[in-house]
Amino acid sequence: MWINMGPQHPMTHGLWNLRVRIEGEIIEEVDPEMGYLHRGIEKISEDRHYNEVITLMDRTCYVAGMSWEHLYIIAAEQALHLEPPERAQFIRTLADELQRIASHLMWYAAFVQDLGLMTPFLYGMRDRDLILDLFQSFTGARMTYEYNRAGGVRNDLPNGFTDRARKVMDWLDARFVEYDQLCLDSDIFHRRCDGLGVLSARDCIDWGVTGPMLRSAGIKRDLRKDRPYAAYDRVEFDVAVADGADVTARYLVRMEEMRQAVRIVRQTLDWLDKHPGPVLAERLPRWLGAPYAPVGREGYLLKRNYPTGRGFSSVEEPHGEAQAYVVNTGGEHPYRVKFRSPVFVNIAAAQKYLPGYRVADIPPIMGSVDVCVGEVDR
Amino acid sequence: MSGATLYSVSAALSALLLGAVASILPAPVNAWLTSPDVVTGLAVLIFSAILLAASMINTIMLIWFERKMLGRFMDRRGAMHVGYAGLLQNFADGLKLFRKNTFRPREADSLGFYAGPTAYMVTSMILFGVLPISTGWSSGALPLSLLLALAIFSFAPLFIFVSAWSSNNKYSLIGGMRSAAQMIAYEVPILLAVVAVVIVAGSFDLNVIVNEQQNYWFWAPLIVALIVFVAGMLAEMERIPFDLPEAEAELVEGWNTEYGGMLFAFFMLADYVRALIGSILVVLLFLGGWTMPSWVPSVATSFPLAGIFWFMIKTYLVFGLFIWIRASLPRVRTDQLLRVGWNRMIPLALLSIVLAAVVVTVRCLPLVGCVPPLGG
Amino acid sequence: MAASPAKENPTNPVTGVVRPLATAAKQFTKSLFRPSTIVYPYERLEDPTFRGKVAVAAGRPIGVGDVWDNYRGVHALNIATCISCNLCAFSCPDICIEMVTVAGGDPKHPKKCPQIDYGKCSYCGFCSDACPEGCLTMTTRYELSVTKRAEMVYPPERLHEVFQRKLPMNPIRLERPANEDNILLDAPLCIGCNACARDCPTKCITMLDVAKPTPKPGEKLPRRIWKEPVVNDSDCVRCGTCISVCPKECLFWGTHK
Repeated sequence: MWINMGPQHPMTHGLWNLRVRIEGEIIEEVDPEMGYLHRGIEKISEDRHYNEVITLMDRTCYVAGMSWEHLYIIAAEQALHLEPPERAQFIRTLADELQRIASHLMWYAAFVQDLGLMTPFLYGMRDRDLILDLFQSFTGARMTYEYNRAGGVRNDLPNGFTDRARKVMDWLDARFVEYDQLCLDSDIFHRRCDGLGVLSARDCIDWGVTGPMLRSAGIKRDLRKDRPYAAYDRVEFDVAVADGADVTARYLVRMEEMRQAVRIVRQTLDWLDKHPGPVLAERLPRWLGAPYAPVGREGYLLKRNYPTGRGFSSVEEPHGEAQAYVVNTGGEHPYRVKFRSPVFVNIAAAQKYLPGYRVADIPPIMGSVDVCVGEVDR
Repeated sequence: MSGATLYSVSAALSALLLGAVASILPAPVNAWLTSPDVVTGLAVLIFSAILLAASMINTIMLIWFERKMLGRFMDRRGAMHVGYAGLLQNFADGLKLFRKNTFRPREADSLGFYAGPTAYMVTSMILFGVLPISTGWSSGALPLSLLLALAIFSFAPLFIFVSAWSSNNKYSLIGGMRSAAQMIAYEVPILLAVVAVVIVAGSFDLNVIVNEQQNYWFWAPLIVALIVFVAGMLAEMERIPFDLPEAEAELVEGWNTEYGGMLFAFFMLADYVRALIGSILVVLLFLGGWTMPSWVPSVATSFPLAGIFWFMIKTYLVFGLFIWIRASLPRVRTDQLLRVGWNRMIPLALLSIVLAAVVVTVRCLPLVGCVPPLGG
Repeated sequence: MAASPAKENPTNPVTGVVRPLATAAKQFTKSLFRPSTIVYPYERLEDPTFRGKVAVAAGRPIGVGDVWDNYRGVHALNIATCISCNLCAFSCPDICIEMVTVAGGDPKHPKKCPQIDYGKCSYCGFCSDACPEGCLTMTTRYELSVTKRAEMVYPPERLHEVFQRKLPMNPIRLERPANEDNILLDAPLCIGCNACARDCPTKCITMLDVAKPTPKPGEKLPRRIWKEPVVNDSDCVRCGTCISVCPKECLFWGTHK
C-alpha cells in the first residue's frame, strides 16, 4: 500500500511529500518528493544587488537564516574581493553559533514532539526565544536578520549585549541537563529511538550526507575544524561525534553541538569585549554600502571597471554542509548564484535509511534528520 | 442528605410537576397523569437529564483541567480568555464545532461514518448511569455493576473500527487497526486486575466494593493490580504514552482523520468521557470511592454532599496523574505496546490475583493490620 | 530490517519513567504561579516596566533590556524633513516603495514622499539605512493586521502619523561610507538646461556661467545655454536624481581626479 505522507502532514515539518510503500507496518520502499516550496531564490538573486540577496538568504532556511547569510556573504566577498574586518569575523562566528543553538533547539522541539511528547517542545521553543531576543537586540529582527553586508556586518553589538548573552548561555547550560532528563533518561525514548534509521558511515559518504547525521556515524568531519572560516580557527571547541548512526546518536551529536556552541559563544564574547573596532570594511564601494540611481550612460559598474571574480564558500550549517557559488562578471548583480543544500541530500538518502523500519518509526527517523524544507527547495 | 437520593429527589420533583399540571386538567387526564407509572417514567427522565448534565459538565471541566494543568507542566498557561481563567473556553470550542459543516468523503460508507461516532459517544455516556458516584447517586443496586461497566467500556474498539473503516482513508484504517489491537490486548490485564479487586471485596457490586474500603483502601494490598489497571486504562483511553491509534506524527489524527465538525466533537468528547470514567473506576476500585479514612476529622466528611465532594477530588487527582504521565513520557510503538500488554501486564495481573488471594486468606495486611471484614 | 547495532539501553523501566516524571513535576512547581509565557495583548515585551517585572519573577533573562528599540517594524516618516530624494525607493529590494505626491510642494515640482506597501515589504531596513536625512526610520510597532488588502498600503500621511506617535525608533544608524562616489560632469555634452539644478532635492547644484567660446571660422557653436552645473559634494546625498533627469546623459558617477 502506498501512503502519501505529505505535502500536508504532521511529520513533514514543511512542505514535501514522503511516499511510502508499506507492507503491514513495515516500510518497503520510500520515494521522497521535494519541490513544493520552490521560490526560485537562485534566479531572483541574479536580479538583485549583492547586498539585497541577503534578504533572500534569511528566507532560504527559516530556522538558520544567519548561517545562510554567512554562507552567501563569504562567497560574495570572495567574488567582490572584499576582506571583512576581524571584529566582523568574530561577530559572524558568534551569530553563527547562536543560530546553531536556536536551530538545534527548534530541532529538539520538533523531534521530541514527533515522539508524542509535547512538553520538551515548549521548553525548546521557550529557550529558543531567548536566543531570538539576543538576535533582535543586535540585528533588529527575530528571524529575518539582514545583518551581514558584503565587507562586514551592518552594525556593532549594542551596549550590554555581552552580559545579556552570557546570562542566556548560563541559563541554557542548566536547561540542557533538563532536556536530557526528559529524553535520554527516559526508558520509552530509548525504546523508540535506539537502532532506528541506521545509515552507516560508508552509506553516509556514498549518499553525500553531511552534518550531524554524518558525525553520528562516527566520522569526525566538521568544516569549522577542517576548513575554518570566519574566526573558527581562533576559538576552541570539540567536534561532536557519536557512534551508532541511529536516532539516539543524532540526538547525542546535536545536544553536544549545542554545548560546544555555548562554549564558542562564550569565547567570542570575551574576545569581542576586549577588541573594539570597525565592523564594516573601510574601502567599501559605494554601490555596496548604499543604493544609487540605476541610471547613467552605461552600466554603473562597467563604468567603474570593478574587477570580476568568483566566490565559493562552504559552511557548516546546523543541518550540514552548505555551499554557495557566486559569479561576478562585473555587473551590478551577481551573474549566477548557486547553493547546495545539505538537507536536500539528507532527505534524498531516506531511500536508504527508511526501508525495513515501521510506519511508527518514520517520525523519529525523519525528525532526527532535521528537515528544513525552505532550504531544500530554495 | 442520608435519606434523599438523587432518584428520590427526581421522583419527588416529578410527582410535584405532574400534580401541578394535573390540577388544572379535566378528570380522566389528571388521573392518568398522577398514576404511579407516569410519575416513575418522568422521574427516570428527570434523573437521566440531571445525570447527563452533570456528567457532561464534568467532562468539559475535565478538558479544562487538562488544558490548564498540562500548560503548567509545559511552562505555559493553557486556556485564558473565555470566562474566568478560560473556564468557558471548551464551551466556546464546542459551539464552534457545532456550527461547523459536517462533511463526508465521497467514497466513505455513510452508515458507518455517521453511526460510528454516535454509537461511540452514546455507549460512553451510558456508563455514567452504571457507576455509583456517591451513596444514593445511582438509580439502584446492580449486583453486577462492575461487570456491566467493563462490558460497556469495551464496546469502543468496535465502533472506532467501524468508523475508521468506513472513512475509507488509509490513515484511518491503520489507526483503527491499531486501536482494535490495543484495546483488545489491554482488556485482558484490566479484567484480571479487576478480578483481584473482586476477590478482596467479594462482590461485583461497585457499592459493595466501595463499602468494603471503608476501613482501608484497596490500593495498599493491591498495588500491583493498581499499576496494571492504570496502565491498562491509559491504553484504553488512548492517552499518551499509549495514544498510538491517533499518533499525530505519523497518522495525522488516526481513526478520526476524516471527521470534522460535530462528529469530531463526538470523538473528542467521548474520549474525555472515557477518561473521566477511567479515573472514576480507579477511584472506585482502589481509592475508596466516596469514603474517607476514619482518622479524617468528621468535620471534613459529614457536611452535605461530602461524599461527592471527596469523590470528585479523588477523581480529578487520578486524572491529574494521567496528565502528569502525558506531560513527561513519549509515545511507545505498537509492537512494544502489545508486547508489554501480553508479556508483562498479564503476568503482573495474575500475580496480583495471587496476592489478593493471599490477602484474603491471611486476613492481615502489612501496615494496616488485621481488619475484620476482609473478603466476602 | 536493517542491521541495528545491539545497544545497551542505559535506563530501566522504573527510573526511566520516574526521572522524566520528576523533571516535569519540577517544572510544574516552578511555573505554577508564574509561567514563562507572556499574556501578549496585556503584557508586552517592549514595555520596559513589564520586562523588569518578568525578569525578576521568573528568575531568568527575558528580552534584552534597553536594546529592544532596535526592532525593525513599521516605518515612521517625517514628511517635513523628507527631501524627495528617491533613495528609499531605489534601495528597496522588494520594490514596495512608491514615491507619491504629498501636499506642500509647489505645483510645478510636487513634493514626493514614499508610500510603502506592507504586503510586499520584507522589513529589511535598507530604506532607512539609505535615507540621507534620517526622516524614514523603523519603529518598534509590529501589529499590522488589516481586513482589506488595500489597507496594507501606507501612504506618506499614514507613515507620518506613525512618526507623530513618537514610538521608539531603531537607534542603530548606518554611517555613510567615507569613499562615496561623486557626481561628475561630461562637460562637452552639457547643454546647460538647468534640469539637474531644478530637480536636485538638496539644492546643491548651482548653474555657473561658462565663457562662450569664440567660434573659429567655419565652426558652428552648439546651440546651448552657456551654463554648467557645479555640485557641492558635501551637501550632495548621492541620490542620482540629476543623472536621471539629465536629457543629454552628461552626468555620471565617478571620483575626482
